[in-house]
Amino acid sequence: MELTSDKVFTNFDQSLQEFIDSGTLTKKEKAAKLASHIDILSLTRSGLAFLYSKSVELDRAEFFKGTSWNDPDKLVPYLVKGTLKYGHPSSSFETLSELRMLRFAKGEDVHKVVSAADAQSFLEEVIVHNLEFALREPTEETRMRMPERELKKAFNLFGFIMSEMDLKGVYEKLIEEIRLICEQRPIRTSKARELISLVNRRFDTSGNSEKDKAIRVYIDALYSPSKGAKANEGKDAYSEFLKHADEKTLANEALEMGELMNATGLVSGYQAIFLKHIVNEYEDLVPICLDLNDRGIAEWEKYSELVSSLILETVSWDNCQCIYGLARMLRKNLFSRRAVRVGLENLRRIKVNPQVEKRILKSLSNPDAEVTALQYLIGGTIKVLGQPLGVGQGNNPTCQSARGISMWSQHSPAKLIDMIITVSTQNNLIMRFENQNLISNNLIKGLLDQLDYNLDVVSVVMVPHLDKIYNEMMRLSTGRLDDPHKWVNPAMYGQWIQVGFASCYDYMSNSIMDFPGYVRIFYAAFHPDFNGNQHMVYPNPVGIFITSNKGDMIGFHAVSLLRVEKSPKGEVRAYFLNPNNEGRQDWGQNILPSVHGKGEKKGESSLPFDQFAARVYAFHYSPLDVKNRINEVPAEEIQKVEKLARESWGKSYMWNQQTKLW
Amino acid sequence: MAKCFALIGWSLPVIESMQKTGRPFVVVSFADFEPYAAENNIPFVSYPLDEWSDTSNSIDLFEKLKAFDVDVAVPLYEETVEWAGALNSIYRGDPRVLNRAFLFRNKAMMKRKALIGGLRVGLFEEVFNKEGVKAFMKRLNQANLQVDGEEDSWVHIKPFASAGTVGHRLLRSLADVDEKCEDSDFPCLAESHLPGREFSCEAFVNKGKIRFLNITEYVKLGYSNFIPEGKYLESKRDLIHKEVQKMIDIFGIEYGMVHPEWFLTEKDELNFGETACRIPGGHILELCSKSYEFDALAAFVISHDPNITEEELDEIFPAKDFKPKNYHGNVMIYPHKRQFSKLEIPESLNNEPYFVEHSLIAPYEGQKLSADRDGFGNHFGTINFKGEDPDRMTELLKHYEKEEFYV
Repeated sequence: MELTSDKVFTNFDQSLQEFIDSGTLTKKEKAAKLASHIDILSLTRSGLAFLYSKSVELDRAEFFKGTSWNDPDKLVPYLVKGTLKYGHPSSSFETLSELRMLRFAKGEDVHKVVSAADAQSFLEEVIVHNLEFALREPTEETRMRMPERELKKAFNLFGFIMSEMDLKGVYEKLIEEIRLICEQRPIRTSKARELISLVNRRFDTSGNSEKDKAIRVYIDALYSPSKGAKANEGKDAYSEFLKHADEKTLANEALEMGELMNATGLVSGYQAIFLKHIVNEYEDLVPICLDLNDRGIAEWEKYSELVSSLILETVSWDNCQCIYGLARMLRKNLFSRRAVRVGLENLRRIKVNPQVEKRILKSLSNPDAEVTALQYLIGGTIKVLGQPLGVGQGNNPTCQSARGISMWSQHSPAKLIDMIITVSTQNNLIMRFENQNLISNNLIKGLLDQLDYNLDVVSVVMVPHLDKIYNEMMRLSTGRLDDPHKWVNPAMYGQWIQVGFASCYDYMSNSIMDFPGYVRIFYAAFHPDFNGNQHMVYPNPVGIFITSNKGDMIGFHAVSLLRVEKSPKGEVRAYFLNPNNEGRQDWGQNILPSVHGKGEKKGESSLPFDQFAARVYAFHYSPLDVKNRINEVPAEEIQKVEKLARESWGKSYMWNQQTKLW
Repeated sequence: MAKCFALIGWSLPVIESMQKTGRPFVVVSFADFEPYAAENNIPFVSYPLDEWSDTSNSIDLFEKLKAFDVDVAVPLYEETVEWAGALNSIYRGDPRVLNRAFLFRNKAMMKRKALIGGLRVGLFEEVFNKEGVKAFMKRLNQANLQVDGEEDSWVHIKPFASAGTVGHRLLRSLADVDEKCEDSDFPCLAESHLPGREFSCEAFVNKGKIRFLNITEYVKLGYSNFIPEGKYLESKRDLIHKEVQKMIDIFGIEYGMVHPEWFLTEKDELNFGETACRIPGGHILELCSKSYEFDALAAFVISHDPNITEEELDEIFPAKDFKPKNYHGNVMIYPHKRQFSKLEIPESLNNEPYFVEHSLIAPYEGQKLSADRDGFGNHFGTINFKGEDPDRMTELLKHYEKEEFYV
């Protein structure tokens, strides 16, 4: 949004004058009005710049008097997020306070207590605690809590601070952030790319510290993944270099690129140019360039014709990230499945519906002009098939759809390709629910108001339809006196979902009923010590309570429980997919899902089993298999879970001790 | 010029305005405000205004205020009108000043006085129970020559002495009487429905004459208004001025400000609703100050002064031929839902050239409204507008009154 005129500035000045002219008695009231101008101005860049120029004047006029922001030396960086989330007027005061701090940090104004260094380190801390705003990737909780306008204000504020401020101190934290994001191997790599680019632009990474070395791996992966690319910067120069390179040089290039890709999960545009260059003439280098294992090499040798065509048709400078997906597909032997091969052949020949094409193009930030929407779609499909756990929901309330795409990609890749083809050509989808066919184009709106296009291509194509169908299924099953997911999940995701269903929430009595009985089933169904040491085969769609970092109930969320196994340290952990783009969260009570280092596969989150159990409110299971094991679950385990539950989300519910017939 | 004003009640904006005029004053209010007053150097007399006894009465207060040399008392809100009336009776040596204060505090008495003096009022009666209201409605039906099957005549009931819309109920049928009336409503005033377009005036009076007349255009009663009045009411300004002066003459009001509400019919007749003599709600004097470029709050206090000179009065009020450059309006925002968790300010407001500022605040998580709201309850903030076209102003106020800010 751009401000229509200078009127906002004049209004602000008038209001500021009224504030200055007012006596002490009505200062507070005038400050509240003045804050409403700050609210509006902080929606735009020009507004923020204006406020920045006024921030110290406001401070001197005692705008902050009588508020928690009065003494800048007493402010706590950790609390900034809370006030921003609280909304106007708090967020407007907070915004102004940060701008004031920025002036101190840059030495444009001097505060008697807060030195420039203090202000600098304060802002660094603030950025580190608020990367979700700095990177415009809000968490589930934030999206639920903050109105769009407030989000915009926060994004804008951090964009401004980051561009104005010296970011040195944020360096180390950012590197750690980049590493943890990449460890999760998201399909959509824009967040990682933005961060890496930020670090590359704003910091000197040439040093010899561990951190410097670590970050250079990521920077190289994006900007100079090989000796040749380093020496011949740019598309044209690099293509020219390849024309004259001998086989030994090329082999070196392949090796370097393959290793960097596998280490980071990131692909550079140079690799796209390189792969297309070698795919026909130097076939043997392809497995090296893709860093394939033995199974992958065998797969490549067998299906090199199809894979080569896919590479030549799909891969491009901007559409390079799919190379990583392709490597993963080969490593998993997906091409050995006839249905997948046929599906991909079919996909290559479709004509994309114009509406779908629009959606695809809208989701791309920097598309290559010569690459068509179909090529991006094939690239996207390869990514999803190669990295089922890398699917994310973006800034959309559509965790169910993301979970579905991930599940199909893992367990029914050909079915997923088929659905992608239908939706891409027809911009429509039919799914069956009980005895009805649900046609997405005939359905009313789903959960989604407006799609956030910050999504992978497959999601952009599929989610609007899946969302509507899911919503319709939910609508049809509402009022049955049990959680609608009981019927919707098996219909939506397929026959892999067990028909048994347990929820701790009882619809009839509007209470949490027989929680111990419920937890007992969860343990008997999934915990290897109590389920006869059975391993999970298929993902289980479970509903969880999302809680704040204080453990307070915030809302509901859908995740997939993927497996329950002992971690390398011998602890039984639940490994799950959180379709929220960020697996690392803080759910309070020291429940901190981990994404790395505790036996997680790339893209998985994990928690100790009891902690996970304490957040689940509904899951599917096989009643027949569980029947005889229920009574073997020890009471102490159950009590542990119940305590965690009662002291967190449980506070928002009535608890009913009645025993339930499960 | 007054030696010292006693401001009875509590209003920070009024106190601040008085500070700015540099005139002597003392605030009389509950003990709760004393620490704040001390901290901010506000001359203050603590007094139990909600009590009338041997130790709490106007003679006693009069004695206490002698130390401040007070010679004019000014009520800041509805409940302090009698206190100010009693004190002014003493200061002016006229017992009728107190009686006149009672007039403002008893709507039945007020109507009777208006009727005697020749103002157009509805049919009214004091009622003591539901049966009384029904009997009143039946007689009204009869007088309106109701035919079988026709709707009942509308009746309003209002407490004798409450501000604005507090306790006001509209009864559309005999059945409504049973449904909407509570035993605790009685006794009260029952009144026939007055037709016409509702608006209010603020007439600043000194020596029995209107010194300045403000007309407030109500867009929606209790929600939105703007100043000065729109084109239609402006064309009736002389008529309104005459009628307000007539009311002032009938009631014998000499000093202060009156805030009468009127209903203007299509035949240019003015029906008298009721009047108050305190600061009106809805930030009306704030809007009035902005449009007419004077301090209406200070003017409110000073017009109570019997000893002020013409020159001094001229200084306070806008010039007789002053034409406001802009219309200033506001809309008070009430949540439409019972439960809400976010404040969502619509994008359109940022780009609205008439928009000036707002005082909205975000609710706390999952905030609920209690079921028993009195009058219009508390609003969650005000949005202020300013512009040159009264029709556009009306449109905006209507629009934003309906907009959902709390979701």
